[in-house]
Amino acid sequence: MFVDFFYKLKDVGIPVSPTSFLTLHKALGNGLVNSLEDFYTASRAILIKSERYFDLYDQVFAHSFQDADMPDPEGIELDEVARVMLEAWLQNPEGLAEMLGMDESALLKLTPEELIEYFKERLKEQTEAHHGGGKWIGTGGYSPVGHSGYHPGGMRVGGISRNRSAVKVAMDRRYKDYSLNGPLSSALMGEALKRLRNLVPFGPKDQVNVDETIYQTMKNGGEIEIVFDRSLKDRLKVILAIDNGGWSMDPYVPIVQTLFDYTRAQFKDLKTFFFHNTIYSTLWKDAARYRKPQPIDQFARFDPETRLVILGDASMAPYELMATDGSIHLEDRSGLPSIECLKFLARTFPHAAWLNPVSASMWGYTRTIAVIRDIFPMFELTIDGLEQAVTHLMQK
Amino acid sequence: MTENANKNFTGATRYVLDDELAKIVNISMALEMPLLLKGEPGTGKTMLAHAIADSLKMPLIVLNVKSSMKLVEALYQYDTLTRLNDSRFGDSSRDVSKIEDYIRMGKIGQAFTAAARTVLLIDEIDKADTDFQDDMLDVLDQMEFDIIEVDKTISATFRPVIIITSNAKKDLSDPFLGRCNFHHIAFPEPDMMRKIIRVHFPNIDSDLLDNAITAFYAVREFGDIEKRPATRELINWIRALKADPDFKPKQLAKGDLPYLGVLFKKSQDLQKAQSNIGRRRAY
Repeated sequence: MFVDFFYKLKDVGIPVSPTSFLTLHKALGNGLVNSLEDFYTASRAILIKSERYFDLYDQVFAHSFQDADMPDPEGIELDEVARVMLEAWLQNPEGLAEMLGMDESALLKLTPEELIEYFKERLKEQTEAHHGGGKWIGTGGYSPVGHSGYHPGGMRVGGISRNRSAVKVAMDRRYKDYSLNGPLSSALMGEALKRLRNLVPFGPKDQVNVDETIYQTMKNGGEIEIVFDRSLKDRLKVILAIDNGGWSMDPYVPIVQTLFDYTRAQFKDLKTFFFHNTIYSTLWKDAARYRKPQPIDQFARFDPETRLVILGDASMAPYELMATDGSIHLEDRSGLPSIECLKFLARTFPHAAWLNPVSASMWGYTRTIAVIRDIFPMFELTIDGLEQAVTHLMQK
Repeated sequence: MTENANKNFTGATRYVLDDELAKIVNISMALEMPLLLKGEPGTGKTMLAHAIADSLKMPLIVLNVKSSMKLVEALYQYDTLTRLNDSRFGDSSRDVSKIEDYIRMGKIGQAFTAAARTVLLIDEIDKADTDFQDDMLDVLDQMEFDIIEVDKTISATFRPVIIITSNAKKDLSDPFLGRCNFHHIAFPEPDMMRKIIRVHFPNIDSDLLDNAITAFYAVREFGDIEKRPATRELINWIRALKADPDFKPKQLAKGDLPYLGVLFKKSQDLQKAQSNIGRRRAY
């Protein structure tokens, strides 16, 4: 019974164990479950062990018991900005395909989520290459979404339900905020902080704890038992470099800054710098990138053990990264292509990580992401990505 | 199965229970599995255990987990110091040669040896390390443990109802999760919150209730707050508002929120909230 349901849960990536499945059957056998609502609650309490998976569970449940659309395990929620943007976009796929510089048939193959991500990337490139790209949105953009109501690939919509049943509850998707897939939002701040708190060094166990030694020795009936503690190590220094140019980064900058500000106490030193798109010969201490330049040559003076964390979407026109005079800011003419500056930073700080709010499934579509990934290990700006980044930064 | 097990949990006077949670509690009791509760601090995880004990008339035993805790402390303690003292001065009624006299039961031990079925609340399990958690679950699974010093096995007379809470500071290990049922207490919706407040303040003025709840949910929406205020903070805040003779509920609607320190416990949060409110009042 419900074997399909069980495997579907497993397929979408929820860790469910056979033991808990048997427990569920025990509950069913005991006559504890008398309705679909009971089943919804019981199987969730027994099978699902973390609120992170409640949202996926809700989706699978709705699918299994009321044929709602199956969740796409890699699916990305459409954010409101993208939705509004796409809805505003008019109805001409050919026009869009042309604007995005890709074949119409290739366009139709993308899932709506992929399309939006791709589109956001491309839009960013375009606005910046053309300066004042606000116009670009206005001049004849057309949406494949609006065309037939839905994208040919099928945009996911919430199903219609008849009454307040378990399926309805499941379709409410009340636990969306707890899901780990989406990019970091302030709802997940607490969780993210806990991940970041692991960013502490630990020394070898080589200091005698006198009190504990006396206690253990007494417990041992006088036989000496020496207890060691970990010795304290100096706390970490962290440099945080943030791309605060361009609207695609706007939602993430305050979150990441708050995140690191709150953890400031656990670091010996936390320096925050800003840049636009990519790093040239200077980083800026002020968010306006105007008053307090900091030449990156001087970074060589910093302790090489410093952890360098870069936050940026790494998406730009390729020449910004490769060309000698690639910067879109005229006053920024150092003679070194940005890619060399990035390599210099990577050499200076072996412990570095690049956090990218763009979903990893989209990284392949943007050339500059691929190039930067070769220089810095790149992680998604999600709870999971943050966890991996912290693990990476703590490696010896 | 004892008589108590057949009783169903339906809620208590001071605790507002939603149907979903009631079902989960009853299923866990019937399956005799521990129930793991997660949720934001201040959403009533600990209160639930109190409510269960209250409504089923069972004694409640609380084990507050600390980060340095060893499992054995939760089971029993061998009081070596008293024994040493007794052996030197010999003026107590205890028999120094009998180690059993110096064994004291810890909280889990007490729940196992109690004369009736108890509710065992293991609070904030996530504070302890994973070894502690896994070992403890072994004990709770087997419902027995050994006292090494006297080579005696203590097994549970009555299987306690076990409630475990976690603030999710650390992830719990898979084997641990495998042996528990799980529920996440979501933050209550304004409707539910109204009921909760009514339970705590039966005579509350509805003007104050409406304004306080509206203001509270607005304040919770502020971005970049590390510890968002929860039910517990709201209850304390209302208590503070009621205690102030000069306070008028209308003030809240105007954006004048006194006693913010009751809602925000971290100084950075408090500053951010104050500047947020200041900005809103300027408009």
